[in-house]
Amino acid sequence: MSLKTQYNLKSPGVKRLMREACELAEPTEEYFATPLEDNLFEWHFTVRGPPTTEFEGGLYHGRILLPSEYPMQPPNIILLTPNGRFEVNKKICLSISGHHPESWQPSWSIRTALLALIAFMPTSAAGTIGSLEYTKEERQILAKKSMNWECTVCGKIVDKLSHSATSNPLTKEESSLLSHIALKAEEDPSSKVNGTEPVDSVRHRIVNTDIPEIQEEIVRNIPQSNKDRMWELIIWMLLLTITLLIVRRFFFL
Amino acid sequence: MGDESENDPAIGTGNQDELIMQQQRQIEREISETTALVGDLEPIVSLNNEYSNDNVYLEKIKDLSSKYKHIRRTRPDGNCFFRAFTYAMIEKMLDNANELEQFFKLIETSKADLLTLGFPEFTVDDFYETFMDVLKRVRDIKGVNDAKKELHSLFNEQGYSDYMVVYLRLLTSGHLQRDQEFYSCFIEGGRTVSDFCHQEVEPMYKESDHIHIMAACAALNTGVRVVYMDRGSSKSNIEHDLPEGTTPSVHLLYRPGHYDILYL
Repeated sequence: MSLKTQYNLKSPGVKRLMREACELAEPTEEYFATPLEDNLFEWHFTVRGPPTTEFEGGLYHGRILLPSEYPMQPPNIILLTPNGRFEVNKKICLSISGHHPESWQPSWSIRTALLALIAFMPTSAAGTIGSLEYTKEERQILAKKSMNWECTVCGKIVDKLSHSATSNPLTKEESSLLSHIALKAEEDPSSKVNGTEPVDSVRHRIVNTDIPEIQEEIVRNIPQSNKDRMWELIIWMLLLTITLLIVRRFFFL
Repeated sequence: MGDESENDPAIGTGNQDELIMQQQRQIEREISETTALVGDLEPIVSLNNEYSNDNVYLEKIKDLSSKYKHIRRTRPDGNCFFRAFTYAMIEKMLDNANELEQFFKLIETSKADLLTLGFPEFTVDDFYETFMDVLKRVRDIKGVNDAKKELHSLFNEQGYSDYMVVYLRLLTSGHLQRDQEFYSCFIEGGRTVSDFCHQEVEPMYKESDHIHIMAACAALNTGVRVVYMDRGSSKSNIEHDLPEGTTPSVHLLYRPGHYDILYL
């Protein structure tokens, strides 16, 4: 791996990421993640939408940004494939729900983060920042479309996951953890500016340029939400009534 | 990059938590720029500079200096107890090959215990190996002074230093969970021991209380003396040996919110 020459292998953080890359090297049915060729601190991942939910059949691709203090600080996840649950191109971070927003633990890993993401997709968006409350039908349509989605770095995502290899069974800790994990969007734009995460500005370069267009195009193709449709109907009916009234005035005076 | 319009609502609703966290990070940054993770040995009287106009403290520093010669400051980042404790213990054992060997064995068997408790092997392995690596590196140096120098430089490398802290946090959490029945009476707020561990012990930067210290000492089979220095009315500082009745191998100075290492 060319990465090896580039990083200080003695740094525990680098060693850890190398190990995680080895552990996750084989795609499983549910997830696959791998570091970029030229940057061990940015990974791309693909996860399968959880079965028996509106995300079933969907494949969702995104980036994982690892802070230089990883694993002392949590990874940030950015979804790139439109999914109707999370905004795309927006950082979401991993935390335990409720009153302990910063309780990421160094003994969790990228695998934990991906499992949490999958587990969290079907939960209610409940108006939190970075969340989207699309209808079930809209999400199903996005799930179908996601099969054809392409990443500018990784290409087509449809072949990224294995069709047979199941992932390692959950450990005791992991399953208890997933029951109360929460993903929360990063709410604070100014922290990026004042340098809490100085690394990111460098790392944004690769992907972001043409994704908004792709997203827009897809959004245009989605049928509007039910609410919009209702309003449209009402307006048409009003117009019709007015026209009828006017016509009656003219002809049946 | 930042979509201002999108983020405005967050500011509009006055997200105080976010602002506080931001300010806290700013403070943390300033601290990390000015204080070493583990500082050099300094005379006790160097504390006077921090309290030049405070007679209560000056009196207590006098009392402290009658018992202790030196202080080694640690960075106040919430990990200070774990960092100070681990550092002081290993440093002391470098003078005693026997003790170091015993400690080595204790750590060697500790990983299996953590795995039985259900900690994820993949990551525990990572912290365990780094902890052992540091122990081996200082053990294999012939001269005690050189070994101590190496220890000092490893503990000031964020990567190694934080990994040592994480492993001791895991050991502490493991001990608390193994001895749940006993520790559950010390936990406030109706939390279970394992909730407490997930929220207050395992995450980095979470400050340590009595209960952390007791469990950490028990896990490493040692004792610590904590000297409490605050604005209380007593003339001398209050000392606590944890666990009670043990001969302390490490002496720590506690000032509200922070631990430093003391030397006799």
